[in-house]
Amino acid sequence: MIELKNIEKYYANKGVKSYILRHVTTSIKQGEFISIMGPSGAGKSTLLNILGMLEEPTYGAYEFMGEDVVSLNERKRIELYRNHIGFVFQAYHLIDEMTVAENIEAPLLYKKVSGPERKSRVADVLDRFNMVAKKDLFPNQLSGGQQQLVGIARALVAQPSIILADEPTGNLQSPQALQIMELFKKLNEEENITIIQVTHSEVNAAYGSRILHLLDGVIKEDLAVPQGV
Amino acid sequence: MFRLNLKIALRNLWKNKGYTAINIGGLAIALSAFIMVVMYVGFETTFDHHIPNHNRIYLVGRSLPEGKTNYTPASLAPSMKAAFPEIENVGRSKKTGFEFAFSTDEGRIYGKNVLSVDYEMAKMFHLRPDGGLKKPAAEGFDLYVPQEFADVLFPRKNLTYPRLVTLGPRNAGQSANIQGIINYRTDHSNLKFDAMVISNDVAANQDPNALNYQTYIEVKAGADVAQLEHKIDGLFKKEMIKNGMSAGDKMISGRSVIFLDPLDNLHLKPVAGNNTNYKIVLALGILGLLVLVIACINFTNLTIAQTNRRAKEVGVKKVLGAYRMNLIFQFLIEILMQCLLALVIGLALSELLLPYFNGLFETSLSLWKGNGALFWQLPGILIVITLISGVYPALVLSGFRPADVLKGNLQTSYKTLWLRNALLVIQFSVAIVFIAGLLIVSTQLKYMKTEDTGFKPAQVVSIQNTVWFKRDNFEQLKAKVNGIPGVNAFTVATIVPDGSKAQKNNYSFEGKEQGLDIIHVDFDYFETLHLKLKEGRFFSKRFNTDTLNSIVLNESAVAAYGMSNPVGKTIRGCDMDYRIVGVVRDVKAQGFETAVEPTVYAIKNPCGNLSEKSMLMVNIDQAKMAAVLASLKTNWKDWNQLDGDDFRYEFLDELYGRLFKKQEQLQSVFYGAAVLTIFIAVLGLFAFSAFSTNSRRKEIAVRKILGATDVQVLRLLNSFFIWVVLTANLIGWPIAYIVATRWLDTFAYRIDVPLLPFLLAGLISMVLTVLTVSIQAEKAVKANPVDALKYE
Repeated sequence: MIELKNIEKYYANKGVKSYILRHVTTSIKQGEFISIMGPSGAGKSTLLNILGMLEEPTYGAYEFMGEDVVSLNERKRIELYRNHIGFVFQAYHLIDEMTVAENIEAPLLYKKVSGPERKSRVADVLDRFNMVAKKDLFPNQLSGGQQQLVGIARALVAQPSIILADEPTGNLQSPQALQIMELFKKLNEEENITIIQVTHSEVNAAYGSRILHLLDGVIKEDLAVPQGV
Repeated sequence: MFRLNLKIALRNLWKNKGYTAINIGGLAIALSAFIMVVMYVGFETTFDHHIPNHNRIYLVGRSLPEGKTNYTPASLAPSMKAAFPEIENVGRSKKTGFEFAFSTDEGRIYGKNVLSVDYEMAKMFHLRPDGGLKKPAAEGFDLYVPQEFADVLFPRKNLTYPRLVTLGPRNAGQSANIQGIINYRTDHSNLKFDAMVISNDVAANQDPNALNYQTYIEVKAGADVAQLEHKIDGLFKKEMIKNGMSAGDKMISGRSVIFLDPLDNLHLKPVAGNNTNYKIVLALGILGLLVLVIACINFTNLTIAQTNRRAKEVGVKKVLGAYRMNLIFQFLIEILMQCLLALVIGLALSELLLPYFNGLFETSLSLWKGNGALFWQLPGILIVITLISGVYPALVLSGFRPADVLKGNLQTSYKTLWLRNALLVIQFSVAIVFIAGLLIVSTQLKYMKTEDTGFKPAQVVSIQNTVWFKRDNFEQLKAKVNGIPGVNAFTVATIVPDGSKAQKNNYSFEGKEQGLDIIHVDFDYFETLHLKLKEGRFFSKRFNTDTLNSIVLNESAVAAYGMSNPVGKTIRGCDMDYRIVGVVRDVKAQGFETAVEPTVYAIKNPCGNLSEKSMLMVNIDQAKMAAVLASLKTNWKDWNQLDGDDFRYEFLDELYGRLFKKQEQLQSVFYGAAVLTIFIAVLGLFAFSAFSTNSRRKEIAVRKILGATDVQVLRLLNSFFIWVVLTANLIGWPIAYIVATRWLDTFAYRIDVPLLPFLLAGLISMVLTVLTVSIQAEKAVKANPVDALKYE
């Protein structure tokens, strides 16, 4: 599904190149659950941003579902967001002026899903996440865990084939973090959604099927997680 | 999606109520000023546009050696019509020049501006009396009056016309038929009249060469007007020569005499006359536009100052699949809504302010009446202001890169864009010019109101009167008036000192000839007006010669001849010798704009009809004012037998005060403009300082952690803006000085440009700046540094 070949990212400052990513080459298949780990400044978030096409690599090739995305124009890229990619953020990034239901509905609006279908899909997701009672609340009326649930619901409602999550539990307490991880695992197993998360936590990484260890912009390790822990 | 965006927009605006109110309020105030200007300009530029062919109508004028005039001889119209086929129609109008009383048994009203026109002219100008324009009888004339006149003259309604009325004083026994009612918007036409006389030939039985007609022509479509002007010039010169003028006469030789002045230009910039109206329209137009554009740009800055709050929304929406166009459209709609609200508030404000505006500019503008144009202009204005104020923020906001804003720690850069600085400087410069201007205008006005004018108009009542007084019948009246207790003095003269122009005559003194103003007066004139004697004496009944050949000169007249010891000497004019009996101090009867004319005062008037005395003035004890006026009113009919139908009077100080009206109007305009421009400038400053303070929150937090005190931080935030305002003052002062000097130069009696207004303008702008910035900065200073430095 994703092919990265020799991805490099650096900032040139007065002729000195400071590398964020070097020689990153890997391939990710549909249905994998990958955790990117590493110390601060290792380039985890940058790699995720490149995967999510939020940043462009300085050098290298990136194919997403067989398409070369480095040369993609903005319109095509946004088409990919609409149809294939869901984002989940550490800070949730719900839109404060929208209610829970409206936040979840937002991606469908851009996807030009018809009104009745929007309603039913939003209702579906709310139901699945047990949040029907909260649908008219605003984000600041929810707890962090609940907000992240809404964030995931919003990512899911457009039925993406891949979810990119940047430290999804970074702002949460452990019980809530576990709940989110269980949810990811379930989505991955039952719906075959590819999930790539950046995380600091070994515990969280254990939920995945594969771990990429980054150090100073280089993939140091690429481990498969032994299943059934 | 549209509905959702709308909801978000409203929730957003509501959440930031303070900013929203300032943003919309500022724009609304600028808009209301702009709407009023648009209405005023629209009104002023559409005079006579109700006439379908208004753009083919021209007024024929003449240029004289010393100036230009609109008065042409009566004979010109028929000869032009006969000679030039491209002229479709000609018409003439003639002013009556004096007040006309119309009376019936039920009431009386005075026509101050009775206009006679040709039937052809009535057709050309679409003068439509009720029931349609009728051709007058061959030799006759038809008199039409406006509804107000009819209401007074014929209080019972539903009358049929013609109806008989008396003209002039009732005992003069003249009468005429009123043929009907004419309601014409003279306030929006170059034809000014209250009553109107329509005849087939206004010049019938009159001297065809008398130069007191206004001649209008309507040319055929496509006519070459420049060519026609040239041909009429030739015709006019030929006729003048035929009437006995020599070809070399300076009245007609060596230049093109006739000019055609388009009707469309007559109100704003007539060839003969001044273009003050045009200047006012232009100045107001520029001011209105400037204020609106600056307000829009301030709106933009205020919107951008809040970008931090919206950046996340943009980033999230982009990763959810929004195109940039979606977002631009969303923000534009949001700004359109704010502009729409501002427009509605602006309209409401205009409705509230229009009465003052109308009072100031003597217009009768209304949002509702006769303003169809406004209702297609408004959507245009809305779209334009939305684009000016919305495009830039929409582009900036929609341009955020999700990767940057979603990291959760956006810092918009604190860039001192020179364009934005320049805008702030310009805003303050404009405000400073108006503050200084207002203070200078006020100082001059105060000077005019307190400076010695040479006479005392208080306590003097001017009684309206249309008949001429000979010495003996005036003495009879005077004896009766002086008999009322409380009357200090009573006199009659050719004019009252209310700015009226006196007649000019040539007088010679020891061989030197000089044009002097001559005011014919009666005994007690100087005492009534409290004029001050310089040397010699005033007129007195003790000297029999005073009614025969005595004359009093003013200081300027003495100076004009360079006389020394004038009293007792002889001066010659109007074919007789006068003996100078006294010198009076100069009287600023024309106000402060023109220098006092060399003037002579005499009782004997040998200079012809125009110098007859009819203006009555009475000086009354302030305490007995009401009683004296009441007594005069009761007795007036018996005492003033020639024109005693009504006792009508005005207070001389009010009449004289009207000379300051233009300056008072200017003062009000400056007052309004100063308040408006200060407001807008402070708003701009508010936006700017909000933006810079917001983007320096982190810097402030770091400085505080490093030990900076609140005062140090406040000084840090203020210093830049103080520089801006200082620069604005340095730009504003010279402009204000130049404009003020040019304005003061239009006065003969004026103050020197004072220093205080400049200092005050500087002080006001500085205080407002420090206040505005500090209010903004205080929030940042008081905030806990931890909040600003937190990652999230």
